Amino acid sequence: MAALRSSSSRLLAAASRSSAGPSMFVRSMASVGDATVNAVPKSSSSARNKTFQIYRWNPEEPNEKPKMQSYTLDLNKTGPMILDALVRIKNEVDPTLTFRRSCREGICGSCAMNINGQNTLACLCRIPTDTSADTKVYPLPHTYVVKDLVPDLTHFYKQYKSIQPYLQRDTPAPDGREYRQSKADRKKLDGLYECILCACCSTSCPSYWWNAEEYLGPAILLQSYRWIIDSRDERTEARKAALDNSMSLYRCHTILNCTRTCPKGLNPGLAIAEIKKEMAF
Amino acid sequence: MASAIRPMLLRQTALSVATRRAATVPAFAFLSRTTPFQSTIAKDASRVAAFHASSRRSLLPPGPQIIKGTINDAVPVPDPKPTHGSYHWTFERLIAAGLIPLTVAPFAAGSLNPALDATLCALLLVHSHSGFQSIIIDYIPSRSYPGAYKTSMWLLNIATVLVGIGLYEFETNDVGVTEAVKRVWNA
Repeated sequence: MAALRSSSSRLLAAASRSSAGPSMFVRSMASVGDATVNAVPKSSSSARNKTFQIYRWNPEEPNEKPKMQSYTLDLNKTGPMILDALVRIKNEVDPTLTFRRSCREGICGSCAMNINGQNTLACLCRIPTDTSADTKVYPLPHTYVVKDLVPDLTHFYKQYKSIQPYLQRDTPAPDGREYRQSKADRKKLDGLYECILCACCSTSCPSYWWNAEEYLGPAILLQSYRWIIDSRDERTEARKAALDNSMSLYRCHTILNCTRTCPKGLNPGLAIAEIKKEMAF
Repeated sequence: MASAIRPMLLRQTALSVATRRAATVPAFAFLSRTTPFQSTIAKDASRVAAFHASSRRSLLPPGPQIIKGTINDAVPVPDPKPTHGSYHWTFERLIAAGLIPLTVAPFAAGSLNPALDATLCALLLVHSHSGFQSIIIDYIPSRSYPGAYKTSMWLLNIATVLVGIGLYEFETNDVGVTEAVKRVWNA
Protein backbone atom coordinates (compact mmCIF):
# COMPACT_ATOMS: atom_id res chain seq x y z
CA MET A 1 0.00 0.00 0.00
CA ALA A 2 2.83 2.33 0.94
CA ALA A 3 4.47 1.59 -2.37
CA LEU A 4 1.31 2.54 -4.22
CA ARG A 5 1.05 5.77 -2.35
CA SER A 6 4.65 6.73 -2.96
CA SER A 7 4.45 6.05 -6.68
CA SER A 8 1.33 8.14 -7.06
CA SER A 9 2.89 10.99 -5.12
CA ARG A 10 5.97 10.70 -7.28
CA LEU A 11 3.80 10.99 -10.39
CA LEU A 12 2.16 14.07 -8.99
CA ALA A 13 5.52 15.55 -8.13
CA ALA A 14 6.79 14.85 -11.62
CA ALA A 15 3.75 16.53 -13.12
CA SER A 16 4.16 19.65 -11.03
CA ARG A 17 7.84 19.76 -11.82
CA SER A 18 7.30 19.53 -15.58
CA SER A 19 4.92 22.46 -15.37
CA ALA A 20 7.58 24.42 -13.54
CA GLY A 21 9.97 23.89 -16.45
CA PRO A 22 13.69 24.23 -15.84
CA SER A 23 13.52 22.77 -12.35
CA MET A 24 13.25 19.41 -14.11
CA PHE A 25 16.97 19.51 -14.64
CA VAL A 26 17.91 20.16 -11.06
CA ARG A 27 18.01 16.45 -10.27
CA SER A 28 20.42 15.66 -13.09
CA MET A 29 23.83 14.28 -12.24
CA ALA A 30 26.17 16.83 -10.81
CA SER A 31 29.36 16.42 -8.89
CA VAL A 32 30.13 18.77 -6.08
CA GLY A 33 33.80 19.56 -6.12
CA ASP A 34 34.50 21.10 -2.77
CA ALA A 35 34.49 19.30 0.53
CA THR A 36 31.28 20.76 1.87
CA VAL A 37 28.87 17.93 1.86
CA ASN A 38 25.62 19.36 0.69
CA ALA A 39 23.80 19.40 -2.59
CA VAL A 40 21.79 22.47 -1.75
CA PRO A 41 21.90 25.58 -3.90
CA LYS A 42 22.10 28.55 -1.54
CA SER A 43 19.70 30.73 -3.55
CA SER A 44 16.50 28.68 -3.40
CA SER A 45 14.23 30.17 -0.79
CA SER A 46 11.62 27.43 -0.59
CA ALA A 47 14.22 24.72 -0.08
CA ARG A 48 13.46 22.18 2.60
CA ASN A 49 16.96 21.35 3.70
CA LYS A 50 17.30 18.19 5.69
CA THR A 51 20.47 16.93 7.26
CA PHE A 52 21.32 13.24 7.24
CA GLN A 53 23.94 11.93 9.60
CA ILE A 54 25.40 8.77 8.19
CA TYR A 55 27.77 6.29 9.78
CA ARG A 56 31.05 6.08 7.91
CA TRP A 57 33.85 3.60 8.30
CA ASN A 58 36.36 2.70 5.66
CA PRO A 59 38.31 -0.56 5.95
CA GLU A 60 40.98 0.93 3.69
CA GLU A 61 41.82 3.41 6.43
CA PRO A 62 41.80 1.28 9.56
CA ASN A 63 43.48 4.07 11.55
CA GLU A 64 40.38 6.24 11.25
CA LYS A 65 37.68 5.71 13.80
CA PRO A 66 34.12 5.26 12.58
CA LYS A 67 32.43 8.65 12.36
CA MET A 68 29.11 10.27 11.59
CA GLN A 69 29.15 12.37 8.45
CA SER A 70 26.47 14.96 7.77
CA TYR A 71 24.93 15.54 4.38
CA THR A 72 22.31 18.16 3.65
CA LEU A 73 19.81 17.65 0.87
CA ASP A 74 16.87 19.68 -0.37
CA LEU A 75 13.86 17.43 0.16
CA ASN A 76 12.04 19.12 -2.73
CA LYS A 77 14.54 17.58 -5.11
CA THR A 78 14.82 14.22 -3.40
CA GLY A 79 12.58 11.19 -3.64
CA PRO A 80 10.36 10.37 -0.68
CA MET A 81 12.31 7.45 0.76
CA ILE A 82 15.55 7.27 2.70
CA LEU A 83 17.01 5.13 -0.07
CA ASP A 84 16.34 7.95 -2.54
CA ALA A 85 18.29 10.27 -0.29
CA LEU A 86 21.18 7.81 0.01
CA VAL A 87 21.29 7.24 -3.75
CA ARG A 88 21.22 10.98 -4.31
CA ILE A 89 24.04 11.53 -1.84
CA LYS A 90 26.08 8.85 -3.57
CA ASN A 91 25.35 10.23 -7.03
CA GLU A 92 25.70 13.91 -6.40
CA VAL A 93 27.63 14.54 -3.23
CA ASP A 94 29.88 11.73 -2.09
CA PRO A 95 30.49 8.71 -4.33
CA THR A 96 32.44 6.98 -1.57
CA LEU A 97 29.29 6.38 0.49
CA THR A 98 28.72 2.63 0.52
CA PHE A 99 25.46 0.77 1.06
CA ARG A 100 23.63 -2.24 -0.34
CA ARG A 101 20.52 -1.75 -2.40
CA SER A 102 18.85 -3.58 -5.18
CA CYS A 103 15.11 -3.65 -5.77
CA ARG A 104 14.12 -0.31 -4.16
CA GLU A 105 10.67 -1.75 -3.38
CA GLY A 106 11.13 -3.82 -0.23
CA ILE A 107 11.40 -7.25 -1.79
CA CYS A 108 15.14 -7.96 -1.75
CA GLY A 109 16.08 -6.94 1.78
CA SER A 110 19.44 -5.50 0.75
CA CYS A 111 19.02 -2.00 2.14
CA ALA A 112 18.29 -3.03 5.73
CA MET A 113 19.82 -0.46 8.07
CA ASN A 114 19.18 1.36 11.30
CA ILE A 115 17.35 4.60 10.54
CA ASN A 116 16.56 6.93 13.43
CA GLY A 117 17.03 4.08 15.86
CA GLN A 118 14.80 1.62 14.06
CA ASN A 119 15.94 -1.27 11.91
CA THR A 120 14.13 -1.02 8.63
CA LEU A 121 14.54 -1.10 4.88
CA ALA A 122 15.74 2.23 3.54
CA CYS A 123 13.50 1.80 0.50
CA LEU A 124 10.36 1.42 2.63
CA CYS A 125 11.20 4.17 5.11
CA ARG A 126 9.93 7.62 4.34
CA ILE A 127 12.18 10.58 5.01
CA PRO A 128 10.73 12.36 8.04
CA THR A 129 9.51 15.69 6.69
CA ASP A 130 10.49 17.54 9.85
CA THR A 131 13.57 19.38 8.60
CA SER A 132 14.60 20.66 12.01
CA ALA A 133 15.67 17.21 13.19
CA ASP A 134 18.55 15.30 11.65
CA THR A 135 18.00 11.78 10.41
CA LYS A 136 20.61 9.34 11.62
CA VAL A 137 21.50 6.29 9.59
CA TYR A 138 23.60 3.46 11.01
CA PRO A 139 24.33 -0.05 9.79
CA LEU A 140 22.35 -2.85 11.44
CA PRO A 141 23.26 -2.88 15.13
CA HIS A 142 25.66 -5.46 16.59
CA THR A 143 26.92 -6.58 13.22
CA TYR A 144 30.49 -6.60 11.99
CA VAL A 145 30.67 -3.77 9.51
CA VAL A 146 32.30 -4.36 6.15
CA LYS A 147 32.13 -0.70 5.12
CA ASP A 148 29.89 2.27 5.95
CA LEU A 149 26.34 0.85 5.97
CA VAL A 150 27.25 -2.64 4.81
CA PRO A 151 27.10 -5.27 7.57
CA ASP A 152 28.67 -8.71 7.34
CA LEU A 153 25.79 -11.21 7.30
CA THR A 154 27.91 -14.32 6.73
CA HIS A 155 26.99 -15.87 10.06
CA PHE A 156 23.31 -15.05 9.52
CA TYR A 157 23.29 -16.91 6.22
CA LYS A 158 25.23 -19.83 7.70
CA GLN A 159 22.55 -20.10 10.36
CA TYR A 160 19.87 -19.99 7.69
CA LYS A 161 21.59 -22.86 5.93
CA SER A 162 21.65 -24.88 9.16
CA ILE A 163 17.84 -25.11 9.30
CA GLN A 164 17.74 -26.75 5.87
CA PRO A 165 15.31 -24.32 4.28
CA TYR A 166 13.97 -26.58 1.58
CA LEU A 167 11.24 -29.20 1.19
CA GLN A 168 12.32 -32.64 2.39
CA ARG A 169 10.24 -35.71 1.56
CA ASP A 170 10.79 -39.44 1.49
CA THR A 171 7.54 -40.49 -0.15
CA PRO A 172 6.62 -39.53 -3.69
CA ALA A 173 3.45 -37.60 -4.38
CA PRO A 174 0.33 -39.85 -4.44
CA ASP A 175 -0.63 -38.87 -7.96
CA GLY A 176 2.97 -38.88 -9.09
CA ARG A 177 2.78 -35.28 -10.19
CA GLU A 178 3.06 -32.54 -7.59
CA TYR A 179 2.81 -32.28 -3.81
CA ARG A 180 -0.70 -31.05 -3.22
CA GLN A 181 -1.80 -29.05 -0.24
CA SER A 182 -5.22 -28.15 1.13
CA LYS A 183 -6.22 -24.51 1.20
CA ALA A 184 -6.13 -24.56 4.98
CA ASP A 185 -2.59 -25.93 4.98
CA ARG A 186 -1.49 -23.36 2.46
CA LYS A 187 -2.99 -20.64 4.61
CA LYS A 188 -0.67 -21.59 7.46
CA LEU A 189 2.26 -20.35 5.40
CA ASP A 190 0.84 -16.86 5.05
CA GLY A 191 2.81 -14.41 7.14
CA LEU A 192 5.84 -16.69 6.96
CA TYR A 193 6.75 -17.09 3.31
CA GLU A 194 6.89 -13.30 2.87
CA CYS A 195 10.06 -13.04 4.96
CA ILE A 196 12.88 -11.67 2.84
CA LEU A 197 15.69 -12.35 5.34
CA CYS A 198 16.72 -8.72 5.63
CA ALA A 199 18.00 -9.41 9.18
CA CYS A 200 16.21 -6.37 10.62
CA CYS A 201 14.52 -8.50 13.29
CA SER A 202 17.52 -10.60 14.25
CA THR A 203 19.78 -7.59 14.67
CA SER A 204 17.17 -5.81 16.79
CA CYS A 205 16.94 -8.73 19.23
CA PRO A 206 18.99 -8.22 22.41
CA SER A 207 19.18 -11.96 22.89
CA TYR A 208 20.67 -12.28 19.42
CA TRP A 209 23.11 -9.49 20.24
CA TRP A 210 24.46 -11.41 23.23
CA ASN A 211 24.34 -14.93 21.81
CA ALA A 212 24.39 -14.68 18.03
CA GLU A 213 26.90 -17.54 17.82
CA GLU A 214 24.42 -20.09 19.15
CA TYR A 215 20.95 -18.54 19.19
CA LEU A 216 19.38 -18.63 15.76
CA GLY A 217 17.48 -15.35 16.03
CA PRO A 218 13.94 -14.44 15.00
CA ALA A 219 14.42 -14.40 11.23
CA ILE A 220 15.90 -17.89 11.07
CA LEU A 221 13.35 -19.25 13.56
CA LEU A 222 10.49 -17.81 11.52
CA GLN A 223 11.92 -19.58 8.48
CA SER A 224 12.31 -22.74 10.52
CA TYR A 225 8.65 -22.56 11.54
CA ARG A 226 7.71 -22.05 7.91
CA TRP A 227 9.16 -25.52 7.16
CA ILE A 228 7.94 -27.12 10.38
CA ILE A 229 4.29 -26.40 9.62
CA ASP A 230 4.51 -27.02 5.90
CA SER A 231 2.12 -29.97 5.34
CA ARG A 232 4.25 -31.25 2.47
CA ASP A 233 7.46 -31.50 4.51
CA GLU A 234 8.16 -34.88 6.15
CA ARG A 235 11.12 -33.98 8.37
CA THR A 236 9.13 -32.06 10.97
CA GLU A 237 10.46 -34.11 13.89
CA ALA A 238 14.07 -33.78 12.77
CA ARG A 239 13.57 -30.04 12.39
CA LYS A 240 12.14 -29.77 15.89
CA ALA A 241 14.92 -31.92 17.33
CA ALA A 242 17.50 -29.57 15.83
CA LEU A 243 16.01 -26.73 17.90
CA ASP A 244 15.63 -28.76 21.09
CA ASN A 245 18.51 -27.42 23.14
CA SER A 246 19.01 -24.48 25.44
CA MET A 247 20.55 -22.15 22.87
CA SER A 248 19.07 -22.47 19.37
CA LEU A 249 15.47 -21.60 20.19
CA TYR A 250 15.04 -21.02 23.90
CA ARG A 251 17.21 -17.90 24.12
CA CYS A 252 14.08 -16.10 22.92
CA HIS A 253 12.61 -14.27 25.89
CA THR A 254 9.64 -12.79 24.06
CA ILE A 255 11.16 -9.32 23.93
CA LEU A 256 9.24 -8.78 20.66
CA ASN A 257 11.64 -6.23 19.18
CA CYS A 258 11.51 -8.48 16.12
CA THR A 259 7.79 -8.01 15.60
CA ARG A 260 8.00 -4.31 16.25
CA THR A 261 10.77 -3.70 13.76
CA CYS A 262 9.83 -6.05 10.88
CA PRO A 263 9.60 -3.81 7.78
CA LYS A 264 7.35 -6.38 6.11
CA GLY A 265 4.87 -6.37 8.97
CA LEU A 266 5.44 -10.02 9.85
CA ASN A 267 5.38 -11.50 13.34
CA PRO A 268 8.52 -13.53 14.09
CA GLY A 269 7.68 -13.42 17.81
CA LEU A 270 4.44 -15.30 17.14
CA ALA A 271 6.23 -17.84 14.96
CA ILE A 272 8.74 -18.54 17.74
CA ALA A 273 5.93 -18.88 20.27
CA GLU A 274 4.20 -21.38 17.95
CA ILE A 275 7.40 -23.43 17.69
CA LYS A 276 7.68 -23.46 21.48
CA LYS A 277 4.07 -24.56 21.78
CA GLU A 278 4.55 -27.32 19.22
CA MET A 279 7.60 -28.58 21.06
CA ALA A 280 6.05 -28.49 24.53
CA PHE A 281 5.10 -31.90 25.99
CA MET B 1 38.65 -10.23 6.48
CA ALA B 2 38.92 -6.56 7.29
CA SER B 3 35.95 -6.86 9.59
CA ALA B 4 37.64 -9.72 11.40
CA ILE B 5 40.62 -7.60 12.44
CA ARG B 6 38.68 -4.42 12.98
CA PRO B 7 38.15 -4.45 16.76
CA MET B 8 41.84 -5.04 17.40
CA LEU B 9 42.83 -2.23 15.05
CA LEU B 10 40.20 0.03 16.53
CA ARG B 11 41.53 -0.40 20.01
CA GLN B 12 45.08 0.40 18.88
CA THR B 13 43.86 3.37 16.92
CA ALA B 14 41.97 4.74 19.83
CA LEU B 15 45.09 4.54 21.95
CA SER B 16 47.35 6.18 19.37
CA VAL B 17 44.84 8.98 18.78
CA ALA B 18 44.72 9.64 22.50
CA THR B 19 48.48 9.92 22.85
CA ARG B 20 48.79 12.07 19.74
CA ARG B 21 46.13 14.42 21.01
CA ALA B 22 47.81 14.75 24.37
CA ALA B 23 51.08 15.65 22.62
CA THR B 24 49.52 18.39 20.50
CA VAL B 25 47.84 20.23 23.33
CA PRO B 26 50.74 22.61 24.27
CA ALA B 27 51.25 23.63 20.64
CA PHE B 28 47.58 24.33 20.30
CA ALA B 29 47.58 26.43 23.46
CA PHE B 30 50.55 28.46 22.18
CA LEU B 31 49.05 29.14 18.77
CA SER B 32 45.76 30.36 20.08
CA ARG B 33 47.55 32.57 22.64
CA THR B 34 45.37 31.58 25.49
CA THR B 35 45.95 32.48 29.09
CA PRO B 36 47.55 29.80 31.28
CA PHE B 37 44.18 29.26 32.91
CA GLN B 38 42.52 28.61 29.57
CA SER B 39 45.29 26.34 28.43
CA THR B 40 44.86 24.21 31.51
CA ILE B 41 41.19 24.04 30.70
CA ALA B 42 42.09 22.97 27.19
CA LYS B 43 44.47 20.41 28.62
CA ASP B 44 41.86 19.09 30.98
CA ALA B 45 39.26 19.03 28.24
CA SER B 46 41.55 17.14 25.94
CA ARG B 47 42.40 14.77 28.73
CA VAL B 48 38.71 14.14 29.26
CA ALA B 49 38.21 13.75 25.55
CA ALA B 50 41.18 11.40 25.36
CA PHE B 51 39.75 9.48 28.27
CA HIS B 52 36.49 9.06 26.45
CA ALA B 53 38.08 8.34 23.09
CA SER B 54 40.53 5.80 24.39
CA SER B 55 38.33 3.80 26.70
CA ARG B 56 39.58 0.25 26.61
CA ARG B 57 36.06 -1.14 26.87
CA SER B 58 37.37 -3.98 28.92
CA LEU B 59 33.82 -4.75 30.02
CA LEU B 60 32.72 -7.62 27.78
CA PRO B 61 34.49 -6.44 24.61
CA PRO B 62 33.13 -7.90 21.39
CA GLY B 63 35.77 -10.26 20.11
CA PRO B 64 36.94 -10.41 16.54
CA GLN B 65 34.51 -11.97 14.12
CA ILE B 66 35.08 -15.70 13.91
CA ILE B 67 33.57 -17.59 11.01
CA LYS B 68 33.94 -21.31 11.54
CA GLY B 69 34.40 -23.24 8.31
CA THR B 70 33.87 -21.75 4.91
CA ILE B 71 31.05 -19.33 4.17
CA ASN B 72 29.19 -22.19 2.45
CA ASP B 73 29.14 -24.42 5.54
CA ALA B 74 26.07 -24.31 7.72
CA VAL B 75 26.42 -23.49 11.40
CA PRO B 76 26.74 -26.81 13.31
CA VAL B 77 23.43 -28.06 14.73
CA PRO B 78 23.75 -28.99 18.42
CA ASP B 79 22.62 -32.40 19.68
CA PRO B 80 19.05 -32.46 20.97
CA LYS B 81 18.87 -32.08 24.76
CA PRO B 82 15.19 -31.86 25.69
CA THR B 83 16.02 -31.52 29.39
CA HIS B 84 17.63 -28.19 28.56
CA GLY B 85 15.20 -27.45 25.76
CA SER B 86 11.54 -28.31 25.43
CA TYR B 87 11.11 -30.15 28.77
CA HIS B 88 12.83 -27.31 30.58
CA TRP B 89 10.65 -24.73 28.89
CA THR B 90 7.42 -26.64 29.60
CA PHE B 91 8.44 -27.12 33.24
CA GLU B 92 9.23 -23.41 33.55
CA ARG B 93 5.84 -22.40 32.10
CA LEU B 94 3.93 -24.82 34.31
CA ILE B 95 5.60 -23.40 37.40
CA ALA B 96 5.01 -19.83 36.29
CA ALA B 97 1.35 -20.57 35.58
CA GLY B 98 0.98 -22.45 38.86
CA LEU B 99 2.29 -19.50 40.82
CA ILE B 100 -0.67 -17.32 39.86
CA PRO B 101 -3.44 -19.29 41.62
CA LEU B 102 -1.12 -20.05 44.54
CA THR B 103 -0.47 -16.33 45.02
CA VAL B 104 -4.12 -15.34 44.73
CA ALA B 105 -5.69 -18.24 46.66
CA PRO B 106 -4.81 -17.27 50.26
CA PHE B 107 -6.06 -13.72 49.73
CA ALA B 108 -9.17 -14.80 47.89
CA ALA B 109 -10.03 -17.48 50.46
CA GLY B 110 -9.10 -15.27 53.38
CA SER B 111 -7.61 -18.19 55.25
CA LEU B 112 -4.13 -19.63 55.37
CA ASN B 113 -3.13 -23.18 54.60
CA PRO B 114 0.45 -24.03 55.62
CA ALA B 115 0.79 -26.69 52.92
CA LEU B 116 -0.32 -24.23 50.28
CA ASP B 117 2.09 -21.67 51.65
CA ALA B 118 4.96 -24.15 51.53
CA THR B 119 4.12 -25.04 47.93
CA LEU B 120 4.11 -21.37 47.01
CA CYS B 121 7.53 -20.95 48.62
CA ALA B 122 9.00 -23.96 46.82
CA LEU B 123 7.64 -22.91 43.44
CA LEU B 124 8.83 -19.33 43.92
CA LEU B 125 12.28 -20.66 44.68
CA VAL B 126 12.41 -22.91 41.61
CA HIS B 127 10.94 -20.14 39.46
CA SER B 128 13.55 -17.59 40.47
CA HIS B 129 16.31 -20.20 40.23
CA SER B 130 15.51 -20.96 36.61
CA GLY B 131 15.11 -17.24 35.93
CA PHE B 132 18.58 -16.51 37.27
CA GLN B 133 19.97 -19.46 35.34
CA SER B 134 18.58 -17.91 32.19
CA ILE B 135 20.24 -14.59 33.02
CA ILE B 136 23.60 -16.29 33.53
CA ILE B 137 23.30 -18.21 30.25
CA ASP B 138 22.46 -14.97 28.46
CA TYR B 139 25.04 -12.62 29.91
CA ILE B 140 27.93 -14.91 30.90
CA PRO B 141 28.04 -17.26 27.93
CA SER B 142 29.98 -20.41 28.66
CA ARG B 143 31.63 -20.32 25.23
CA SER B 144 33.49 -17.08 25.99
CA TYR B 145 33.69 -17.10 29.81
CA PRO B 146 33.67 -20.75 30.86
CA GLY B 147 35.22 -20.03 34.27
CA ALA B 148 32.91 -17.17 35.18
CA TYR B 149 29.96 -19.17 33.90
CA LYS B 150 30.73 -22.12 36.14
CA THR B 151 31.43 -19.90 39.14
CA SER B 152 28.19 -17.96 38.84
CA MET B 153 26.17 -21.13 38.30
CA TRP B 154 27.60 -22.55 41.53
CA LEU B 155 27.05 -19.27 43.37
CA LEU B 156 23.45 -19.41 42.21
CA ASN B 157 23.07 -23.01 43.39
CA ILE B 158 24.49 -22.12 46.81
CA ALA B 159 22.23 -19.07 47.05
CA THR B 160 19.18 -21.14 46.11
CA VAL B 161 19.96 -23.74 48.76
CA LEU B 162 20.52 -21.04 51.38
CA VAL B 163 17.26 -19.31 50.50
CA GLY B 164 15.53 -22.69 50.56
CA ILE B 165 16.80 -23.38 54.09
CA GLY B 166 15.81 -19.86 55.12
CA LEU B 167 12.30 -20.24 53.73
CA TYR B 168 11.95 -23.63 55.42
CA GLU B 169 12.90 -22.03 58.75
CA PHE B 170 10.53 -19.15 58.07
CA GLU B 171 7.68 -21.49 57.25
CA THR B 172 8.19 -23.85 60.18
CA ASN B 173 9.29 -21.51 62.97
CA ASP B 174 7.69 -18.21 61.91
CA VAL B 175 4.52 -16.92 60.26
CA GLY B 176 5.24 -17.94 56.67
CA VAL B 177 5.46 -15.98 53.47
CA THR B 178 1.80 -15.13 52.85
CA GLU B 179 1.24 -13.93 56.40
CA ALA B 180 4.47 -11.90 56.25
CA VAL B 181 3.36 -10.20 53.03
CA LYS B 182 -0.01 -9.48 54.61
CA ARG B 183 1.59 -7.87 57.66
CA VAL B 184 4.04 -5.79 55.63
CA TRP B 185 1.17 -4.73 53.38
CA ASN B 186 -0.91 -3.53 56.32
CA ALA B 187 1.99 -2.03 58.28
